[in-house]
Amino acid sequence: MTEVLQSTPDREELILNMGPHHPSTHGVLRFIVHTDGEIMRKAVPDVGYLHRGLEKIAELQTYPGYMPFTDRINYLEVMFTNMAYATAVEKLLGTEVPPRAEVLRVLVCELNRIASHQITLGCITMDLGAFTPFVHLLRERERINDLMEALCGNRLTFNYMRIGGVSQDVPDEWLKQLEAFLDHFEPVIDEFDSLISYNEILIKRMGEVAVICAEDAVGFGLVGPNLRASGVDWDVRRDLPYGAYPQMDFQVPVGMGEKGTVGDCFDRFIIRVEEMRQSCKILRQCLANLPEGDIKAKVPKMPRPPKGEVYSCVEGARGELGVYLISDGTPKPYRLKWRTGSFAGLSIIEHISRGLMIADLVAVIATLDVIAPEMDR
Amino acid sequence: METLSNYIADYLELSGLAREILYAVLIVAVAAGVFMVALTISGLLTLAERRVAGRIQSRVGPNRVGPLGLLQWLADGLKLIMKEDLVPAAADGPLFRLAPYLVIVGVFAAFVSVPFGQLLIAADLNVGVIYLLAITSLVTVGVLMSGWASNNKWSLLGGIRAAAQIVSYEVPAVLAVLSVVLLSGTLSMQGIIAAQGGWPWHWYLFHNPFTFLAFFLYFTAAVAEGNRTPFDLPEAESELVSGYNTEYSGMRFAGFFLGEFANIYLMSAIATTLFFGGWQIPGVTPEQQATSWGLQLVGLLIFVAKASIGCFVVIWLRWTFPRLRVDQLMSVCYRYLVPLSLLCLAANAVYMLLIPAGSMIDRIIHYGTAAFGGLVGLIFLWRVFHHIRSVGDRLDLNVLARGQKGRFDPRIQARRYGKFRKKRYSKETG
Amino acid sequence: MGSFSEYLANIGRSIVTLGDGLAVTFSYLLRKPFTIQYPDRTEKPVVAMLPERSRGILEIDINVCTGCSICAKQCPIDCIHIEVVKDEETKQRVLKRFDIDVAKCMFCGLCVEACPVSGLRHTHEFEGSMSDVHRLMLSFVDKPQPVAKPAKKDEPAPETKPVGSIVRKLLADWWKPANPTSGGPR
Repeated sequence: MTEVLQSTPDREELILNMGPHHPSTHGVLRFIVHTDGEIMRKAVPDVGYLHRGLEKIAELQTYPGYMPFTDRINYLEVMFTNMAYATAVEKLLGTEVPPRAEVLRVLVCELNRIASHQITLGCITMDLGAFTPFVHLLRERERINDLMEALCGNRLTFNYMRIGGVSQDVPDEWLKQLEAFLDHFEPVIDEFDSLISYNEILIKRMGEVAVICAEDAVGFGLVGPNLRASGVDWDVRRDLPYGAYPQMDFQVPVGMGEKGTVGDCFDRFIIRVEEMRQSCKILRQCLANLPEGDIKAKVPKMPRPPKGEVYSCVEGARGELGVYLISDGTPKPYRLKWRTGSFAGLSIIEHISRGLMIADLVAVIATLDVIAPEMDR
Repeated sequence: METLSNYIADYLELSGLAREILYAVLIVAVAAGVFMVALTISGLLTLAERRVAGRIQSRVGPNRVGPLGLLQWLADGLKLIMKEDLVPAAADGPLFRLAPYLVIVGVFAAFVSVPFGQLLIAADLNVGVIYLLAITSLVTVGVLMSGWASNNKWSLLGGIRAAAQIVSYEVPAVLAVLSVVLLSGTLSMQGIIAAQGGWPWHWYLFHNPFTFLAFFLYFTAAVAEGNRTPFDLPEAESELVSGYNTEYSGMRFAGFFLGEFANIYLMSAIATTLFFGGWQIPGVTPEQQATSWGLQLVGLLIFVAKASIGCFVVIWLRWTFPRLRVDQLMSVCYRYLVPLSLLCLAANAVYMLLIPAGSMIDRIIHYGTAAFGGLVGLIFLWRVFHHIRSVGDRLDLNVLARGQKGRFDPRIQARRYGKFRKKRYSKETG
Repeated sequence: MGSFSEYLANIGRSIVTLGDGLAVTFSYLLRKPFTIQYPDRTEKPVVAMLPERSRGILEIDINVCTGCSICAKQCPIDCIHIEVVKDEETKQRVLKRFDIDVAKCMFCGLCVEACPVSGLRHTHEFEGSMSDVHRLMLSFVDKPQPVAKPAKKDEPAPETKPVGSIVRKLLADWWKPANPTSGGPR
């Protein structure tokens, strides 16, 4: 960072400071942008403005006590962070999760994936100048928030999962409400498509822009929708199955280069629309085959996992969300490390930024779905 | 103006210097009147924009200040006046202070030759159209000046974008307007309206397929000149923070803001004049209209209604479309709009040569174009209802929805919102 | 001529896709708004509209509290402060202080799950804005009182006050000016 700021630029170069308080940097994220008029030479990201030391906090908390903090890793994929942490501790403890809890976990995760993609898609369109699709998706997300509040009592920081299961069973009528939501939401995705997805201006703004080839995507460690948009068919849910996902039947959408080249911004956009459809499909299967039984395995109140280390990952809305956990036999973790998709997504921006326009940088940040709290932790 | 002045002078039997003084006073009075009208219109448009945006986004919009929120724009204006007028230390002070006035003057001066009614026009210039196109170019100077003088890189980018955009889009706009000028044979706003008629098939919009196209070209170019979405690159909230007006606050910011909204009304009014028959009442000739005050009023209402629909469309566009990129903006202008408007101009000239005005073919083409326009409208309506049905929503025509009235004792809430509300509620509940 | 047909196709596609987008937004002009007008134009108070499990401001019914302090141990951020002392005369354990720092609380619900007598619970109250952050320290014990005995297995669980009534009273007290017990800075 310092050498970027101190190096004497060419006489033709304009250095712009984008962020940390910029409308389209999604939280507090900063870019040093070298431009020649509108065309960028380089955009160097600067991270750390939202560092809260959530990995260090884990070392001071008991295993169950850290669960609410995982809500704060990423305010958009709370269920996934919950689940990644819970599965990691369960692997250490060797706990078997009851089947009903497993299906409930998949259910809430997919519901959360829809909510997260709604925000992402909305932010993409908003950063490209269309405000209404964002508000429409926010309205649909409100319905999910209501469902979540009825299920676990909070709208954003769910804290729903526990080591060995989930905290509460579904309330009465909740499954019916969920089904009603799905019946309502599936046509709304189509409406969203006719409102904005295939809008010619949006296609022009995103097609052929900031193409990430498969080699680069793998090289920079992109995960999730960003990786799949580049044509790499990899999904943790299918390829490293966990929880109740092996029982589910779903497709993994991969970037096709529908309006340009494989791996352009439009692929990253449309793949998320498709994933929302697939999540609806999974949710319907969960509703159809929700087994009866316990929702939580027997786990001691203050678990002391045996010495050892474990890596556990789930497919979050931003791709592989991993937890690396070391236990030293005490009630508190020895070390915990999060591996999040946003950080990898951010790291590639400098590489692909050359030759883009300032307006494209906004599209790139939005379609890579960079979320500042997840990046800085 | 001059006729009015002469009329009053004759009535009071004035002569010489007194006549001149009266004329001067009248000019100032009319200028102030036009300014107030334009100010009110742009104020109301800010409210309209927020209400329409709210409704499009499943919200309600501002509805608390005054009946239906109609006084919201006054409250906003008051707030902006009270705010501190900040001039950044590094800014070029005089230019920074001057820029908003150029924008306001550029737009508001154009209102002088907007024909609100047959007799209600401040100055029916014989070069009306040219005057309008020329005076609004002052906005370019103001915007570029503000972008430069702010001494902010984002503002500079915004200002440069704005200058490039407005200058480029003048070309298709003028070419599209020339089509109409060609048909009517006059540059005077009143003359252009008088050459049209009351019914839709008498409008220049449906005169022939090429004027139909010319209207859309003019409208697109005008939206771009007004820096509105999808061409709002100079402001581009998500890219340039707020573009050329990033550093402005208080009343100077309001100057840009009012200029923008007055511009929307202006372009709608010009479109109404050029393509939609202005104040013409269906089935009433201009001669009949000139004799009756009642018909004059109807004409005024018709003009305002048409212009308001135009404003609505501009607002509606803003809340639907994403923004273009700089290079795409230029390619839209020079690859699509300019060639097409040249085509329109040439085709209209050929049309006038080949088809004599008032002949059978001429009329058939009018009716045909109008029918085509109607068909497009019907297809659009079908899509609208298709979308409502597909999601399973119900039609709700309560467009001014105030929200549900509270049905519980508001004193429960009053505790939480302090004394002000407590007083109001205690009055309401006795 | 390929490029010219592409040129026309571009125009046609733009008109169709943009027009359809306009139809969607126009259709929303004819639909009901989704929002409610918080706080005063709703059918009932928002607090009453929340689902049953909604996690609002914490409250404790001190008449059933056994002073076991499990909640304070469970709390990951130590926002519950409990002080239990032994009364020298009566040899009874006395609850001297039960404070919940609502400013710190993150509404995770771990303490409520842990409470063995269900005395600690989440209310639906969420409107607790204060001009001073220290006033968000809720004190539930006015004067020291002996702790409750845990109910035996065959006994019915002790009656608790209606959920939310205690917190509502505390919040209402806050708004009274110059209230010495309104939880000033400690």
